Amino acid sequence: MIVMVGGILMMVQYFIPHQYSQAVFNSYTEWAPIVGAFALILGVGSLTRVHSHKIRRKAKNWQYSWAVLLPLFGMPVFALLLPQSLAGGMEEPSIFHFLFMHIQVPIQSTMFSLLAFYIASAAFRAFRAKSALATVLLLAAVIVMLGQVPIGEVFGRWLPETGLWILRYPNLAAKRAIMLGVGFGILATNLKIIFGVERNWLGGAGK
Amino acid sequence: MLNLDRRWIFLAIGVVSIIPFLVGIGMPISTTAEVESIFDYVNGLDKNDAIFISFDYAPGTQAENTPMGVAVMRHAFYNDVPVFITSYFPLGHGMAIEGLNYVTNPAVPGFYQRVSFEEWAVFREAGITDKDELVIAWENDGNVLPEGAMGWVFEGRDFAMLGYAPLFHLVILGMTASIEAQYPQDIYENQLYEMPMLREHKSLREISLALTTAGSSACRSWIVYGREKVGLPVAFGVTAVMATDYFPYIQSGQIIGQMGGLRGAAEYEVLLAENGITASTDKAFRGMDVQSAAHMLIILLIIMGNIAFFAGGFHKKTAMKGRG
Amino acid sequence: MRKNWIVVPALMILLLLLPALSVAQSDDEILTPVDDSLSTVTEPQPVAEEQLVEPDPGLDVPGAVTVMDKENDAGDLLLVSFEQPLYTDGIFAYNIYRRVAGEETWNLVEVIPADEPPEFIDGYDPEFPISPGVLYEYRIASATVDEEEFFGSVFEAEVVSVGEIYHTGKTRVLIAGGLFIFLIFYYFGKAQRGAKMYLRPIAGIEAIDEAIGRATEMGKPVLYVPGLSTISDVATIASLTILGRVAKKIAQYQTPLMVPNRDPIVYTIADEVVKQAYMEAGRPDAYDPDSVFFLTTSQFAFVAGVNGIMMREKPATNFYLGMFWAESLLLAETGSLSGAIQIAGTDAVTQLPFFITTCDYTLIGEELYAASAYLGREPKQIGAVKGQDSCKAIIMSFITLALLLAIIDLVAGTHTLDWVRQVITMPIVD
Repeated sequence: MIVMVGGILMMVQYFIPHQYSQAVFNSYTEWAPIVGAFALILGVGSLTRVHSHKIRRKAKNWQYSWAVLLPLFGMPVFALLLPQSLAGGMEEPSIFHFLFMHIQVPIQSTMFSLLAFYIASAAFRAFRAKSALATVLLLAAVIVMLGQVPIGEVFGRWLPETGLWILRYPNLAAKRAIMLGVGFGILATNLKIIFGVERNWLGGAGK
Repeated sequence: MLNLDRRWIFLAIGVVSIIPFLVGIGMPISTTAEVESIFDYVNGLDKNDAIFISFDYAPGTQAENTPMGVAVMRHAFYNDVPVFITSYFPLGHGMAIEGLNYVTNPAVPGFYQRVSFEEWAVFREAGITDKDELVIAWENDGNVLPEGAMGWVFEGRDFAMLGYAPLFHLVILGMTASIEAQYPQDIYENQLYEMPMLREHKSLREISLALTTAGSSACRSWIVYGREKVGLPVAFGVTAVMATDYFPYIQSGQIIGQMGGLRGAAEYEVLLAENGITASTDKAFRGMDVQSAAHMLIILLIIMGNIAFFAGGFHKKTAMKGRG
Repeated sequence: MRKNWIVVPALMILLLLLPALSVAQSDDEILTPVDDSLSTVTEPQPVAEEQLVEPDPGLDVPGAVTVMDKENDAGDLLLVSFEQPLYTDGIFAYNIYRRVAGEETWNLVEVIPADEPPEFIDGYDPEFPISPGVLYEYRIASATVDEEEFFGSVFEAEVVSVGEIYHTGKTRVLIAGGLFIFLIFYYFGKAQRGAKMYLRPIAGIEAIDEAIGRATEMGKPVLYVPGLSTISDVATIASLTILGRVAKKIAQYQTPLMVPNRDPIVYTIADEVVKQAYMEAGRPDAYDPDSVFFLTTSQFAFVAGVNGIMMREKPATNFYLGMFWAESLLLAETGSLSGAIQIAGTDAVTQLPFFITTCDYTLIGEELYAASAYLGREPKQIGAVKGQDSCKAIIMSFITLALLLAIIDLVAGTHTLDWVRQVITMPIVD
C-alpha cells in the first residue's frame, strides 16, 4: 500500500507544478538521504556480524575477517575521531588520506587493470568466427579496436574513420534499440511494483 | 594451441603494457568531432561564465577519467573560467581533490599557482573580485608568479571544491534552484556565499557547462536532472567501454560532446597543446602507446585463437551448448 | 486476430492527433514582448513619489514595466518586461530592483545588458525568491559603464505569482505515458481473462532449472549475484524477483545458496526474499541466515570478495542477474575459470559483450525484466510483457514513419520531418 500510494503520488506530482506539490517533493528529497544513511547501518551491522561470527568460531580463513573489520572501523576513527594533532582528519597530511591514496586507490586501480588481462584471455578463448555473423562481428571489432589507437592510423586514415562510422551509425542504432526496449521494461516493471502485481521483492511482507 | 595456459597470455599483456610506457613512442593522434566540440565550447567561454567538473568515478577508472577532468580544468583555468568541482561518489571526492592537486602541483609542468581562500581575503573584503583586477592587485602586493606557473588560481574566484554529497542526483536537482542550498560550504569549510564565483552563478541555470567524468551511469543524472530540467549544457568524459553507450545522446543533441576513454582524454590533450594552452601533452597521450600495443596483441590473440580453432576442426563440430 | 491488428494503427492515429492539442499550448520558455494594448492596465501609474534624478542628456530611463504570472510554475516566477528608453547611448545595462509592496528595502534582482531583450523571468535567483500571492514593485535603472545609475519610476506589478495545478508543457508526456500505461494494463486484463499469449522461449531462462540441478548433483553451492546497483535500479528489482523463484527451487533441492550483496538495502530485501522462498517451499528450517550477506559497497572490493568466494567454494552454478559495470568481466571470467555453469542477465548494454563471451547463457536487456514472467507464468506478468511489446510496436511505427518522411524530405525538399519532430518533442519545461 505504501509503495502504491507513494508511486502514484510521485507520478501525479510530476504534472502538478503548484507549490504544495513542490513541498511534497522537497520533503521527499530531504528524507531520502536520511533513510539511505540508516540503511548503511544495516549493511555495516551485517558485515560485522558475519565476520565476528567467523572470528569467534575460528572458521576457515578467519584471519582475513580481521582484515575486513579493522579497516571498516579504523577509517572512520582516523577521519572523524582522531584529532588533527595526531594526524587525524581527512585532508592531507593525515592517516586517513595516506591510507586512501596509498592503499585503497592503488588496490582499486589494480583490480580494474585486471580487466586488461581478462579481456585478452577472453579474446583468445571465446572470440571465434563460428558463423557469418560472428565473422562480421569480429571484423568490426578489429576495425574499431585499431581505429581507436594511434597505430591504426599507420594503416591509413580509412581505418579510424571506418571505426568511427561504425560507432556513430550501426552501433548507435543498436544501442538506441536496446535503450528503448530497456526503457519500456523499466516502465512495465515499475508499474507492476507500484500497482502490486510484482511483490516478490517484498519478501515475506508481500504475502 | 587452444589449451594455451592463460598465464602466458597474462604475461604477454604485462610485457606489452610496460615496454611502450618506458620507451615512449609518441605516435600522433587525430582528433574527432566529439572531442573537438567540447574543446571548442570551453574555448568560447570566458571569466563571465562558470562550469562544473564532476569527478563521478571511483579510483578503479582513474587512469581514464582523471586526465579528462585535469585537461578540461587546465583549459578552464587558462580562459579564467571559474570551476565548481563536485563528485557523485565518496571515492570520487578523493579523485577530485587529487585532480585539483595535480593541476596546482608545482612539480608538474604547466601548473597553476593556487591561492587559498584566506590568503586573498583582504582583497575580497576590499571589493576586488574581478579576476583581472585581482591578479593586478595581488601582484602589486608583492606576490610573484613562480617560474613555470601558467597563472594564479584563486579559491572562490577560479575554483570551488564542493566535493561529494549523498544522493547526488538529488543534489543536482537541488542545484537547479540553488547551489548554495546544496553546498553551504566547500570541503575546506569556506562559506560559499562569500565566494564571488557563487555570487555570480547561483544556480545551474547560470552555469555554462557541466562536464561529468564518469566510470558508471552516474553521468546520466546530469542529463535527467540538469539538461532536461533547466537546459544545462552537458558533456561526458566516460570510459571507453561506456562511450559506445552514449552516442545516441550526442546524436540527439543532449550532450555537446564526449571524451571516450583514454583516447578521448589524449585527444583533448592534443588540442590543448596544438592551441598553445599547454606546452605539451600529458599522461593520457603517453598511455596511447601502451593501448596501441595492447590492442595489437589482443588482435593477434584473436587471430591465433581462430587459426587454432579452424585448424583443429572444431568448427565442424556442433555448436557449444547454450551459445545461441 | 483482425481485432488485434486494428489496435496498433488506431493508437497511431490517436498519437498523430497530438498536434491538435499541442497547438493550444504556449511556449513557456520564450518570452514574447508584451503588447500594452492587450494589457488590462492601460496606463501604469507610479505608486510612490520618488525624488527622480534628472537624466543626463542622452542617458534616458526605461519606461513602463509589465509583469505577468509565468505559467506552469509553483507560484515562484514572474515574467517581467519593460519599455526601453528612446535614447540608449551610454547605457551599459539595466539594473532591475524589486521590493515587496509596502516595504522599504529594494533588492537588485537582475542586471540585463543593454543589447539584450528587455525582459526576463524573475524568481530564478535563490537569494531573492518570489513568493506566491505576494505583490511586488519594480524599479529599473539605466546604468553606465562606471556603474552610475539613473532610476525610472516605481511600478507596482499588475499580478501576483500563482502556482498552477497542471503543467501544460508536459501534456505530451502525459498522453504518451498514459497511452503506454493503458496498453500495459489492457494486456494485464486480457491475460487475466484467459487469452493465450505466446512468449518466445529464451534459452537462458529455460536453463535455470538445469543449472540448479547440476549444482545439486555435484553437491556444490549456487552463487547468485543480484547486481551491484541500489534498490532504486529496476534491474535490481527484477533480479530480486528472479532470486525469489530461484531460491524456491533451491530450497526444494536443498542445495546451498550464496547471495553476496553490495548494497545494504538490497541485502535486507534479498534476505527477506530468500527466507520467504524457503518458507513457501516448505523448508523454513533449511534456510541459512548466512547465505545472504553484505560484503562491501566498494565496487572492486566486492568483486574481489566474490572472486575469492568462487575460487574457494567452487560453486557449480553462477547467476549474475542485475546491474553490472566494469567488474562484469572479472566476475564472469573467474567463474569460468572455476568451471561453473554461468547464467547472466543485465540491462547494462556495455557489459553484455563480456557476459555473452564468458557465460553459457545471457539475458539481454529487457529479457531480464521478462524473466519474472517466464518463470512464474502468471497471467499479469505475461500481460505486462505483451504490453511492453505493443509499446515497442508503436515506437517502431514512428521510426518507420520518420524514415519515410526523411526520404520524402530528401527527395521533395519538404520539411515534414521537422514538423513531426516539433510536434512530438518536448522542450525544456522549466
